[in-house]
This record gives sequence, structure tokens and C-alpha cells, in this order.
Amino acid sequence: MSGEPLLRVTDLVVEFSTEQGVVRAVDRVSFEVRPNETLGIVGESGCGKTVTGLAIMGLIPSPPGRIAAGSITFQGRELAGLPESEMRAIRGRDIAMVFQEPMTALNPVFTVGNQMIDVLRRYRGLTRRQARPAAIELLAKVGIPAADQRIDEYPHQLSGGMRQRVVIAMALSCDPKLIVADEPTTALDVTTQAQVLEQIVKLQQEFQMAMILVTHDLGVVAETCHRAIVMYCGRIAEKAEIEPLFAHPRHPYTVGLLGSIPRVGEGEKQDLAVIPGIVPDLLHLPPGCRFADRCSSRQARCDEALPELDGGEDSRSRVACYFPY
Amino acid sequence: MELLQYTIRKLLAGIPLILGVTFVSFLLMVYFGPDQTYQLIGKNPTPEQIAEVRAQLGYDKPFVVRYADYLRELGTLDFGFSDSTGEKVSVLLGRTIPVSLALITPGFILGNLVALMLALIAAHHRSGWVDKMIMGLSVVGMSISFLIVVIAFQIVFSSSYGLGLFPVRGWNVHSPGDYFAYVAVPTMATVFVALGYNTRFYRSVIVEELTRDHVRTARAFGVPPARLLYRNVLKNCMIPIITRIVFSIPLIVISGALIIETYFGIPGVGKVTFEAITSGDQPVLKAVVGLTALLFVLAQLVTDILYRAVDPRVSLK
Ligand SMILES: Nc1ncnc2c1ncn2[C@@H]1O[C@H](COP(=O)(O)OP(=O)(O)OP(=O)(O)O)[C@@H](O)[C@H]1O
Ligand SMILES: [Mg+2]
Repeated sequence: MSGEPLLRVTDLVVEFSTEQGVVRAVDRVSFEVRPNETLGIVGESGCGKTVTGLAIMGLIPSPPGRIAAGSITFQGRELAGLPESEMRAIRGRDIAMVFQEPMTALNPVFTVGNQMIDVLRRYRGLTRRQARPAAIELLAKVGIPAADQRIDEYPHQLSGGMRQRVVIAMALSCDPKLIVADEPTTALDVTTQAQVLEQIVKLQQEFQMAMILVTHDLGVVAETCHRAIVMYCGRIAEKAEIEPLFAHPRHPYTVGLLGSIPRVGEGEKQDLAVIPGIVPDLLHLPPGCRFADRCSSRQARCDEALPELDGGEDSRSRVACYFPY
Repeated sequence: MELLQYTIRKLLAGIPLILGVTFVSFLLMVYFGPDQTYQLIGKNPTPEQIAEVRAQLGYDKPFVVRYADYLRELGTLDFGFSDSTGEKVSVLLGRTIPVSLALITPGFILGNLVALMLALIAAHHRSGWVDKMIMGLSVVGMSISFLIVVIAFQIVFSSSYGLGLFPVRGWNVHSPGDYFAYVAVPTMATVFVALGYNTRFYRSVIVEELTRDHVRTARAFGVPPARLLYRNVLKNCMIPIITRIVFSIPLIVISGALIIETYFGIPGVGKVTFEAITSGDQPVLKAVVGLTALLFVLAQLVTDILYRAVDPRVSLK
């Protein structure tokens, strides 16, 4: 994978002001996504994966949230701080997002077709009459049977998997260059998960899109991603290409997540292993490494200052740890 | 077809409600309500005279019989004759209800429409200064008493001290121009008073809806903010809005009319009700109470049907 990155996130900081104080949900996160590439983001619940995705989309709820620092460039253009009207022109058309919550992501009082046609008219400049067959075609493409009937149904008449497919179809209809898929399958049952994911990957290749895939499922990362970042408490713990990440995980947190040495490419799915201890409260973070409390390699230095990612821009595997494996 | 069945079923289900409401109000009216006996009778009456008058008024019959009579009256919409004026009650109401409706409707519609518009604007600029200003003015509007608003508006718009544009009191309507002149100030006053409450309510409903996931999805697919509000979110908010609007109709028709008509000397059903209460005119009161109960049941039916129209998840089971 080479070439100019499509998306470059540099030292992104996202903060939320809450009643207890300012929460830094994303803290100096940097990564890039190249055209047609899939970047995986993994990490425990609350580590800032969704917030990162929302920041790219310019959809951080404000107030209470804001992008406090850092830059997000898409095709060389700075997105952080872009006025809402200009950001709106980028959403959907350049970057589309598939959300974590399929049950509530669609508007309950409009039919699926209505919502899709709305998007198609906006992005492809079709008339209502032209948009309808296009919507049916897209629904069929994402694997919805009897799409010509389903199109007139309301979201509550569809299963979670169907709804997620509808959102995916909506995302595809804009023909974006980058798709942010935020745990697109987590809310679905296991069989549906596999089908929906397969569908996404197939379509990503067909439509020549880059993708950021947020997931809990390391098996999925191993199978579908070119590179991945492992996040912990708003920070990147490890950022690596898939081969080295699974062959030689370096951060103790990654090692913990993998549980044991994983077998890449055997198609075996693995969920996040349980690591003893709890994630620190974002309001009371230690001055040193945030994982130190749960780490078996902990030494005095770990509690003094936050470790930064080692290595250079183009090393295949970078880790933020003083004593990596 | 489904809708017709549903309507009939709902109307049938409304019967116990009507029975309950009328029974309780009838009970209160008979045992605690106004009594005309001593107004019709001379000084120092004998017990025989009293009994005779009560028999004339029908007060001597057993409660059950009187209630049954009442239900029959309600069924036929024939409530007999007013105790005070002798006018047929149905004629009296047929004359005054249209006046009240004509008086109240513009203020009611404007009060809700303007409030909805202000609420959309406030929600669109939520937490900004436009929002804060609209909400602040709403609180001010809510805290001024209706009586003061009426007097102030009468002075400003109707009196020779102010603009002197409209008649102060009365209802002498023979042409659309007359109608406008007489309805203008009452409408402005009701809109002024209702605006604060309505705007605050609508704003909170809209702002709540704006936090939902589907709003974020819409934004992620480039829906512009204004369109998001008036097309997507407004329809989502319709259930609480419809509930509030439709259920305020029976209250407005009776109590709203009563207040406005008294202040502006307008001969509507509110004034008739007020006079019936003070003079103990039971036939008129019975009619008003019964019709109000009916109106509530109808309001419920209408809201249920409208729910179905705006939210596909509601079924007319
Ligand atoms: N609207 C908000 N207000 C305040 N804090 C927020 C808000 N949204 C997110 N956060 C904070 O950001 C942190 C990261 O949230 P985020 O949704 O990105 O987690 P996640 O990694 O997507 O988790 P999950 O796997 O459960 O989806 C949360 O722990 C929370 O403290
Ligand atoms: Mg998330």
C-alpha cells in the first residue's frame, strides 16, 4: 500500500465538557487512510472509536463536544474547523458513515424508500421517478430480498440486519471515497454479522472505496484490514500493518486483546479477550501510561509520563510503550 | 375500511367515558349545584309552595329517573327550555356556539402556528442568542396575567387614549369587516398569552427529537439544517404536538371562551355557561356538561386517528 493518503488525521484532540469537568475522549490521535485501503480501529468500549469517526464527519455534538486541537485533512483539504455548510458538501459525497446503532439510525416515520430517494436525489441529482429504481437496485445489491417491496416499508418493519443494510445502501448511493463503518455488525446476530460484513467488503472493492472499520472483532480485522490502530482511553496504543500486528503484537494491551498468538488468515473469529482490571475514568487519568494499572510489564517509568508512539512515519509497526514485547 | 371500523370501535369505547363524566357532573349538579327554587318563589313560602315549584322544575323526581331523563336528552340533543329565559336550549346553543368558535378559532390557530414557528427557530439556534431571546420572551409572556394583557390591549388598540382602531367590547357582526374588527383584539390577547406556553413546549419537544440517532444519520447524509427541521424532525414531533393541540380544544371552547367573552362582552357559549352557573339554570348546564364530555371523547378519537397518520408504528388494532 503506497500513494498519497486520502485522509490524514494528525494529533486529533476531541473534548467534551461535562458537569464533572472536561473529558478528553480522543487525545492526540494520528493516522492516515490511503485510497482503497481498509484501516481497522479496535479497542474496548469507550476508548474513543466512535468519537474519532464522528470527528472526521464533523458530527461531534456541539455543545458539549469540540475538536480541541489537531487537523483532519481529506485529499489535502483541512476539515477541522470547516464551516457547517462546507462540511455538509463533504458528508455523504466524499465520506459516508455507517452507524453503530442500526435500530435507531433510520427515521421511524418515513419509509425506507423515502429516505433513500432523498439521498439519491441530493447526491446523484435524480428525479423522484428516476431515484426509485436506483434505490431498489441498491437495496438488492446490499442483499435485501424482494427489494421492490421492502422499499415501501417503514424501518420498524425490518430486522436490525436489514436496517443496517439499508444504511449501507444509503452510504453506497453517494459513491463516497471513504466510508466510516462504526461497528456495522456489532448489534446484529452472529450469522447476520458475517453476511453483512462480507457484503460491505465486497462492495468496498466493487466501489473502490477506502474504509475505516471500527470493530470489536479481531478476526474481522485480520481478514479485512490492511492496517489497524489499537486504541486505549482515547490514545493510540499501537498502530501497525496487519501482518506484524498479529505476528508480533508489541503493546501489552494488544497482546492482552489477542489473548494468545493469533493465527492470521485461518478465518477463525476471535472476540476481544478479557483483560483484568478496569479502564481508568477519563476524568481522572494518571499522568503516566493509561494502561499501567492493568499491565504486567509495568515499571516505575510507566507512571511518570505518557509514552509516545515510537518509530517513524513509515515504520510498519509503531507502539506507545516503554517496554514493548 | 380499517379506519371506519376503528372509528366505530372508538366511539363505542367512548360511551362509558361519556356516562362516567355525565354521571359525576350530574351528581354534583343535583346535590351541590345551583338551585332555582328560591329565585322563582316569593318571600316566606309555605312548604307546599316550595314543593310545587320543585315539582315544576322536576327537582322532586328520584335521582335515577332524572339521570335517565338526562341521558335521553343527551341522546336526542333536546335539553328542553332554559330556566331563566325560557328559550329552547338547543336554539340557545345553536346561536351562541358558532359565535364562540368564530371568536376563538383565529387565536387558537395563530397561537399554535406562530408558537411552532418560533419553536423551530429557537431549536434551530439552540443555546444561541436567538434561542435565549425567544425563550426569555416566552417566560415574560407566561408571567403576565391574562387580565392585564386584555386591559392593556384594549387601551392600546381600542381606546381613544391609544390607537382607537377596534371596538372595545361587544359582537355586532354583519360583515367580514365587522368580524375582523371584533375578533382582532381578543385574538391578539389570546395569542400573546398562549404563545409563551406553546413555544416552550414545542421547543422542548423539537430539541429532544434533535438528539435522536436518526437526526445524526440525516446530517451524515448531508440534509441541510432547515430541511432537517421542517421535513424530518417536525413529522417525528407530531404526536406530542397533536396531543396538545387536540386536547386543548375542549378546554379552550369552554373555559377559554368563558374568560374572553366575559372580558369583551361577547354573547358566546362561554357567557351563556357563566350565566347558567350563576343563576342555576340546570337545563343549560346539563347541555354544556354533556356536550363537553362528548367533545373530549371526539378529541381522543381524532388524536388516535391522527397518530396513525403521522407515525406508522401506531396500529389501529
Ligand atoms: N456526547 C458526549 N458527551 C460527553 N462525553 C461523551 C459524549 N460522547 C462520547 N463521550 C465520551 O467519549 C468517550 C468515547 O466514546 P466513544 O463513543 O467514542 O466510545 P467507543 O470507543 O465508540 O465505544 P463503544 O465500543 O462502546 O462504541 C466516552 O467514554 C465518553 O466519555
Ligand atoms: Mg462506538
